[in-house]
Amino acid sequence: MTKTFKLGCAAALMISAASAAMAEGTITTVVKISGIPWFDRMETGVEKFAEENADMTISQVGPAQADSAQQLQIVQDLVAKGTDALAVVPMDPAILEGIFKRAMDRGTIIVTHEADNQMNTMVDVEAFDNAEYGAALNARLAECMGGEGKWTTFVGSLGSRTHMQWVGAGEENAKQFPGMELVDPNNESFDDANGTYEKAKEILRKHPDIKGFQTSAGNDVLGVGRAIEEAGLTGKVCLVGTGLPNPSAAYLDSGAITAIGFWDPQKAGMAMNAVAKMLLEGKELTDGMDLGVEGYNSVTLKDGPGVGKLLIGNGMVLADKDTYKDYLF
Amino acid sequence: MRKLDGRLAILSMLVVVLMVTGGLVSGGTYLSLFNLQSMATQVPEIGLLAIGVMLAMCAGNGGIDLSGIALANLAGVASGLVMTQFIPVYDAPWLFTLCFTLGAVVVGILGGLLNGLIISRLGITPILCTLGTQMLFTGLAVVFSDGRSVTIGSPDPMYELGNGVIMGVPYSFLIFLAVALVLGAVLRFTPFGMRLMLTGANARAADYSGFAKRRIFTVTYTLSGALAGLAGVIIAARNVNVKWDYGTSYLLIAILVAVMAGVRPEGGSGRIVCVVLSAIVLQLLSSLLNFIGLSNFVRDFAWGALLLAFLAVGRFQLIERLAAGIASGITSARVPRASKG
Repeated sequence: MTKTFKLGCAAALMISAASAAMAEGTITTVVKISGIPWFDRMETGVEKFAEENADMTISQVGPAQADSAQQLQIVQDLVAKGTDALAVVPMDPAILEGIFKRAMDRGTIIVTHEADNQMNTMVDVEAFDNAEYGAALNARLAECMGGEGKWTTFVGSLGSRTHMQWVGAGEENAKQFPGMELVDPNNESFDDANGTYEKAKEILRKHPDIKGFQTSAGNDVLGVGRAIEEAGLTGKVCLVGTGLPNPSAAYLDSGAITAIGFWDPQKAGMAMNAVAKMLLEGKELTDGMDLGVEGYNSVTLKDGPGVGKLLIGNGMVLADKDTYKDYLF
Repeated sequence: MRKLDGRLAILSMLVVVLMVTGGLVSGGTYLSLFNLQSMATQVPEIGLLAIGVMLAMCAGNGGIDLSGIALANLAGVASGLVMTQFIPVYDAPWLFTLCFTLGAVVVGILGGLLNGLIISRLGITPILCTLGTQMLFTGLAVVFSDGRSVTIGSPDPMYELGNGVIMGVPYSFLIFLAVALVLGAVLRFTPFGMRLMLTGANARAADYSGFAKRRIFTVTYTLSGALAGLAGVIIAARNVNVKWDYGTSYLLIAILVAVMAGVRPEGGSGRIVCVVLSAIVLQLLSSLLNFIGLSNFVRDFAWGALLLAFLAVGRFQLIERLAAGIASGITSARVPRASKG
């Protein structure tokens, strides 16, 4: 009921906004798919940014189906509409290369997120450096393990570039602790909580004295957490990995999950919009600058793979039992 | 006089209504040349696939082609992988574009032929056959490309094909119209077209009339495959890259376009001009909703509502009755004349 009402209001607003002349410029955020928790959370950030910049027209849209063709269509229509800046989280960076190039030729500002291989973008915003993130997860794990004992790692798949970077950096970090012994590393989870659960049970049987798990894909913590809980090892085995607060809440409360790591899509949405606004105003981006968004206070600026820049924040969040309630999504 | 086609009338009306609404809502930007061109470049992919679906439906026998977008992707991926291997994309741009196009259409024809042979020779129901080949084509595209996107590149002729305009009209849209025109003529004026429609209308009568039913099915699905191959070319030209999972939502949209155009799923009836208009209506509608900034779930809702409205209009022949009512009102108001006999 309220949703319909909100939708109606939004529609009315949009129509009036569209017919009234664009005030100080429009920034539209285009996400991979709308209506899922991750991008709903991002929308809260976009809305927040819109409140702070009331003179601009700022909104978020996304396809109803997870299909790169649908996202392409939205981007193309927005470019034709004359939107000043687009902040896009590409479903598939390759499919959007053509339209991005044409859009930039036409003077549209393009900012992307989660697409560090995008050739045609002005700035790609990444929440954190993958190596730093992996090391931070491992540091939290080592702290819980007291710096000694057997531990293992999970990745979504061996072909997942970021996951391999995370566990690789984790292994690097663990070298500081001679007592930590890595056993059977790089188990593939395929982001399937059930499969991960079975595999974790096997590992617990094979290594009854295992002390730690570092996991990568979003559902891994759930599978491993369940295995730890059912084996009655809660509090004895440490588990740190990528996960989202809402689904992990029960295991965080019980202690089966030590800590989860993630980046906050809300802040990422704000950061993308902040960058788009700066580009609109013709401001220069510099290494070490402050975007005015938490986690993006001192960003690293590098050359991207194509024409644009790669902007890396320090937006990683490690949340445990006491802090996850600040990020419920 | 030819009987008024209610579907054609209402689709044309919708085009006008949507354009006027868009113009009013957007303060004119919607009707700007750039946006009209932008929308026109988006129509061909789905339009070609919808014509493929229409041909399959018209042939009757529960005809449908679910493999369209999968085959289009396979055509782009396969032809792209082979041609980029042998022809320097930027040194021989014309040769590359020509060979890539030919390659993709050939892959499309082969895929369509496979569908046609399975359906006509083995007697498998089209929905099952094309569901199977859809997975086969997708699988092949994944294997060939290792699941990654394949970069075709954008040498000049290729870029022009996807994005260029001639006298303000995008090439891809012109190609789409040309294909529609040719196929429309084939359906209307050639013996093949007539047999295709008649077979769809009454398969048993076609049998007794000695139609080569198998050949008709084979040719129909092969044509549909060729259209998918052409759609693959246009996708590649627009996007620079092709990938196996592009346009998964097109499968249902293509069917939606065909049904909205009044193509009867039972076979035997359908007009290409309506399919073209129907594809244009869907494009105008979704672009309009994107302009307003409405949630894309609203778009799905609007499409669904539109489809149901169309089915109702078709079922009860509202337009025809309305027109007849108006016509009789006019004639009765005038002095009755002797009929022409």
